[in-house]
Amino acid sequence: MRGPERACGKACGGVPRGYGEGKAAVSGSTLLGDTWWICWRELKRLWGQKIRIFMTLVQPIIWLALMGNMFQRIAAIPGFPAPSYLDYMAPGIVTMVTLFGGIFGGLGIVWDRRFGYLQKLLAAPISRTAVVTGKMLAIAVQTAFQALVVFALALAMGVHFAAGAAGVPVLLLLAVLLSQVFAGISLCLGAVLTSHEALMAVVNFLTMPLMFTSNAMMPLDMMPAWLAKLAVLNPLSYAINPMRTLFLNGWDWAALARGLVVLASCGLLMTAAASSLFRRSIA
Amino acid sequence: MTPEAIVETEELTKRYAGGTLAVDRVSFQVRAGEIFGFLGPNGAGKTTTIMMLTTLIRPTSGRAVVCGYDVVAAPHRVRQQLGYVSQDVAVDDNLTGWENLYLQGRLYHVPPAVLKERIADVLATVELEEHAHRPVATYSGGMRKRLDIAAGLIHRPRLLFLDEPTLGLDIQTRSRIWEYIRRLRDEHGLTVFLTTHYMEEADRLCDRVAIIDRGRIVALDTPAALKRSLGGDLITIRLAGTTAAPDLAAGMAALPLVESVRPGADGTFQLVVREGERATPVLLDYLSSRGIRVDSVALKRPTLDDVFLRYTGRQLREEEGAAAYHRMMRAVRRVRR
Repeated sequence: MRGPERACGKACGGVPRGYGEGKAAVSGSTLLGDTWWICWRELKRLWGQKIRIFMTLVQPIIWLALMGNMFQRIAAIPGFPAPSYLDYMAPGIVTMVTLFGGIFGGLGIVWDRRFGYLQKLLAAPISRTAVVTGKMLAIAVQTAFQALVVFALALAMGVHFAAGAAGVPVLLLLAVLLSQVFAGISLCLGAVLTSHEALMAVVNFLTMPLMFTSNAMMPLDMMPAWLAKLAVLNPLSYAINPMRTLFLNGWDWAALARGLVVLASCGLLMTAAASSLFRRSIA
Repeated sequence: MTPEAIVETEELTKRYAGGTLAVDRVSFQVRAGEIFGFLGPNGAGKTTTIMMLTTLIRPTSGRAVVCGYDVVAAPHRVRQQLGYVSQDVAVDDNLTGWENLYLQGRLYHVPPAVLKERIADVLATVELEEHAHRPVATYSGGMRKRLDIAAGLIHRPRLLFLDEPTLGLDIQTRSRIWEYIRRLRDEHGLTVFLTTHYMEEADRLCDRVAIIDRGRIVALDTPAALKRSLGGDLITIRLAGTTAAPDLAAGMAALPLVESVRPGADGTFQLVVREGERATPVLLDYLSSRGIRVDSVALKRPTLDDVFLRYTGRQLREEEGAAAYHRMMRAVRRVRR
C-alpha cells in the first residue's frame, strides 16, 4: 500500500475535462477564509429571514420603552447613580440584546447536525475550527448591528452619551466581545447536547439568572449582598460597567481596560472551549 | 494497491461506542472510472462505510486508502479529492440554489475566477438553470436532490460518493439521476461510489456491486456475474394443500435440468434450474405423475434480489427504506413549520 502522502497521479486513471484535478484546482485551506464563508452563510440566512431581523429590532424598542418607563421612579431613590432610569438602563439593554443574540446564536448548529448539513461541511476540506469561529463571527456582526440600533434608539429617546462619538466604536467593541462569550457558551452546549429541546431548556434556564445577577437593571449597592457578590462573577457586569461609564461619565480608562481585558479573555477561552468540544463531538 | 484502484480497504471495521459492529472486516477495491455500488438493506453498514471513506468517522480498525491517501493519516488530502452527497439532502433552505453552490465552491476553495463558470456548468448538468435564483425552500424533493448532487460536483472531484442517491424519489426523477451519474462517468471519467437498497438501481447503474449484509460483504461482482452465479433461472412452485411428501424435494432435485431445490413456507418450493422454459414442463410432468396438484408456478430470470436472498437467506425489503424516508420527511416538514 502507498504511504499517505503519495499523490494519486496517473495511477488513478486518465480523467479528461478537468474532473479530478484535485489539489491543483483548489487553493490552500485557511482558517480565516473558511471562517468568513461559514459566517457568510449565517448572514445570508439571516438576510433571507426578514422576520428575524425585524424581531431583533423590535425587541430592544420594547425593552427600552417598556422597562424604561415602568421603572422610571426608581431613579428617585436617593443614591441612584443616574439622572433618569432610562439613562441607567440603556447600557443594560445593549448587554441584554447581546446576551440573547449570543446565547441563542449558536443553537443553529444542532439543526445543522440534525439535517446532515454539518456532515456536508465536515466532508469539505475546511478547517474544523472554522465551523465554530464562522458562527461566532456571524454573531459578532449581528450583535454590533443590534447594539448600534439600541444605541441610536436610546439617543432618540433622550438618553445622554457622555463619551461622545469616539465612544461609539468602544461601546460596540464591548458588546461584540460579550457576544463572543455567550456565543461560545451556546456553541459548547450545542456540541454537547444534540437534542434541541434539551438545549432550549438549558439556555432558557441560563438567560434570566444571568440578567438578574448582573447590574443591568439595578445598581450593585441596591442589591442584597449575596446577589451583588454573584454579579461580580457575571461576565455581563464586565460589559455593563464600562458601557455605563461611557454613557454617564465619559472616559473611565480603568473601567474600560478592566472590561476589555476580562471580556476578551473570557471570549477567547469560550472560543477555545467551543472549538475543542465541537472537535470532540465529531470525532 | 493495484494500479487502477481509487479506493482500497483492508479489513475495515467500525464498532460504535454502544458496541454495535456496523462494519465488520470489509476489504474491497473500487477501480478508477467505474460506478461501484454497495447494495444492502438499511442498517447493513453502507452509510457507515461511506462515512469512514469520506473521513467523517474514524475506523475502529483496518485501513482505507482513498485517492492515494490514508483516511486516518491524511484526512484533509482525502477531502480535497472527493465529492460527498449524503442521504440527508443537505442543502440550505434559506439560500437560493445558486448561493448553495457558491458557498460549496468557496468551502472547497475553488478559485474565484472559475467559480461562476463552474456553477453554471453543474447547474446545467442537473438541469436546474431556470431555478437557480429561487430559494431552495421552494424546490421539490427531486430538485433538492439534484442541487445536492450538483454541489458535490462543484470542485470537480475525481471520486463522488453518493449515499442512497434516489431514496424516496419518484421513478422519473430516479432515472434522470441515473442518467446524470452515467454521463458524469462517461464524459468526465468520474468514479462513482454509491450505496442503495434498490435492487434495480444497483442492477441498471452499477458496473460492479458489493452485496453487504450485517456489516459484511457477502458477494462482489458485476450484476450479470452475480446473477449467473445463481446457476440459472428460478421456478417458484406452490402446491395445492400444504402437506408435501417428505421425499418430494429430493425427487425434484433428481430431475434433469434442476440444480437445487429449497422448500419455502406454505407448500412452496424454490428451484434453481437450467433452461427454465424446458425445465418447467419436466417438473410439472413429474408432479402430476406422483398425483400432486399444483396451485401455481412462476418462472423468472434471476435478479439481484434473488442474489441477495441466496447469499443472506433474506429478501431485500424495499418498502423498509421508503418508510424510513417518509418518516424522515415528515419530521422535516414538522420542523419547517
